[in-house]
Amino acid sequence: MTVAPLLRVEDLHLHFRTAAGPVRAVDGVYLEVGRGRTVAVLGESGCGKTSLARAILRLLPRNVAHYSGRVLLDGEDLMALPEEHFRQEVRWARLSLVPQAAMNSLNPVLRVGDQVAEPLWLHGRVRRPEEARDQVVEALRRVGVPAEFADRYPFELSGGMRQRVAIAMALVLRPQLVVLDEPTSALDVLTQANLLNLLKTLRWELGTSFLLITHDLATASELADDVALMYAGQIVEFGPLDRFLTRPLHPYAQALRASVVSLREERAPQPLPGRPPSLLNPPAGCRFAERCPARFDPCGQAPPLVPVEGGGQVMCWLHAQEASRAR
Amino acid sequence: MPGDPLLAVRGLATWYELRRWGFLHQGWVRAVDGVSFQLAEGEAVAVVGESGCGKSTLAKTLLGLVRPLRGEVWFEGRRLSSADDWRWYRRRVGYVQQDPYGALPPFMSVRRILEEPLVVNGVSSPSKRRARVVEALEAVQLVPPEEFLPRFPHMLSGGQQQRLVVARATILGPRLLVADEPVSMLDASVRAEVLQLLRSLQQRHRLSVVYITHDLSTVRHFCERVLVMYAGKLVEQAQVADLLREPKHPYTQALLAAIPDPDPDNARRLRPVPPGEPPSLVRPPEGCRFHPRCPAAIPGVCDRREPPDFEVGAGHVAACWLYEGARTVTTAPAVEGGGSP
Repeated sequence: MTVAPLLRVEDLHLHFRTAAGPVRAVDGVYLEVGRGRTVAVLGESGCGKTSLARAILRLLPRNVAHYSGRVLLDGEDLMALPEEHFRQEVRWARLSLVPQAAMNSLNPVLRVGDQVAEPLWLHGRVRRPEEARDQVVEALRRVGVPAEFADRYPFELSGGMRQRVAIAMALVLRPQLVVLDEPTSALDVLTQANLLNLLKTLRWELGTSFLLITHDLATASELADDVALMYAGQIVEFGPLDRFLTRPLHPYAQALRASVVSLREERAPQPLPGRPPSLLNPPAGCRFAERCPARFDPCGQAPPLVPVEGGGQVMCWLHAQEASRAR
Repeated sequence: MPGDPLLAVRGLATWYELRRWGFLHQGWVRAVDGVSFQLAEGEAVAVVGESGCGKSTLAKTLLGLVRPLRGEVWFEGRRLSSADDWRWYRRRVGYVQQDPYGALPPFMSVRRILEEPLVVNGVSSPSKRRARVVEALEAVQLVPPEEFLPRFPHMLSGGQQQRLVVARATILGPRLLVADEPVSMLDASVRAEVLQLLRSLQQRHRLSVVYITHDLSTVRHFCERVLVMYAGKLVEQAQVADLLREPKHPYTQALLAAIPDPDPDNARRLRPVPPGEPPSLVRPPEGCRFHPRCPAAIPGVCDRREPPDFEVGAGHVAACWLYEGARTVTTAPAVEGGGSP
């Protein structure tokens, strides 16, 4: 791509201080989200995907031990911005979040409409209550929530509806990029399908970019253009979804693909033995090496990020060798 | 009866009473409302449905944790009615919980967790207990057992915890295993492992399994039969392959259509989803409970009369008026639909 991507993450690190030592939740992440595109960050629990979302949004807990790298939104380094400026100009306005279990993240004592209006007031987009009301109704309509729900409290809404309200809130200032952290994982099958339909429609209509955090390959395939596969704090493979589904490159990607239990595929799923390494003290070399069927000598050293034909990159010695042979 | 099933359930209804201020009767939540099915020895059957359809209440009833209001439960040809029957039955049933970490006492070692059911059931010799604990750990591939015996639940991975739960559920040699969403809390890569373990235990010991799940995509390789539940009732029963190939009930069709498989074309199209949400179990709709959302509902029929079970294929049953004319299946005794008990 010649056009600069909307979001570019370079060598991002986020380590947490714990009693046992620093936990390297995000440990050298490179990532790109193109304009109007959706990137799925796919990974198992504990791989650091939610921490990655938090690092991008600068929503950090108190026990941060180390936070470094660059997060470029439209070419502007967000990590270099003063906190006050970031809060007023960037968060919600240009970059927003639908948190994990968003349906339970609403304030129980505020009416739904007032919550959706909050970003509007805080960012000075509205001056009079009527203006706010109009925009709230419009934002709710966009996500398929009837206008009269604005006067209800969260407990009066079903889980699917509350999830929609959280999405309306994230979209109300029309940000360029929305981070969706496991948007459907707590929902039922039909509610999930409904919500994914909504997110697809929003993408087509608004052209918003999404960074989708998920553990579920099928959900990723519903929304994403690109997949970033995360393992033990690092993105080990990044590239177009089509390739990821049909011809995954990294041995972890292949093993994960084979382990997925799926409805229509004839082949029986193959479990992936072992477990991810501890992020307290990750191995010096490739972090997947211990479980990797294709492990060989160089894997004791940290693998390079190898660019792949057709876009993206893979962090694996197998492909580094192929690339150097091709040259 | 020749070829007696291990478990037979007829017209089972488990309702919860709603009370105001703790004593004024307000109504009933009809969580399980007239469910009939049979389970053969060594057979695994999946109960699939969305949250609030009553599948967990069905599991609790089958475990003897909640007493049904109506209906019959037969086990090994014996009807369970008295408290003694249920006590006898409970020793023959194992339970695999949804959240392995929540199901394991955090302050007990693996060894104590597995010894507990043996102690409770009168295996008094420590050496015998130890042998059975080791055997149970080996059966779920937590090997070498010596390494796992002194560990505590938090020292195990999610998959290992769930295998420990399975070991505990099977250590008394049950005939029936009730697994309530055993893999929904686990990572995708671990799910296959736990499901395969359950499958191999089932086949090796001719165990019968009731596998409760909201996720149809996990049933394919792990069960013989699927029961689809909606709003307290079974709407379809079929062999796995038949159900996936030719779902008959519109609700099953909707469920199947809503489930994505990893496919690059997914992002380019919308999925068909029936409108609305599952009904209240306090005042379920008249007639077929799916009719307000059903694209094929027949006015004047589906909203009036409750559909019986129609036999739509060999071993394939659908409770839907679309198949009127097919033979009806009468496993259930005449249980009148409405009214209070």
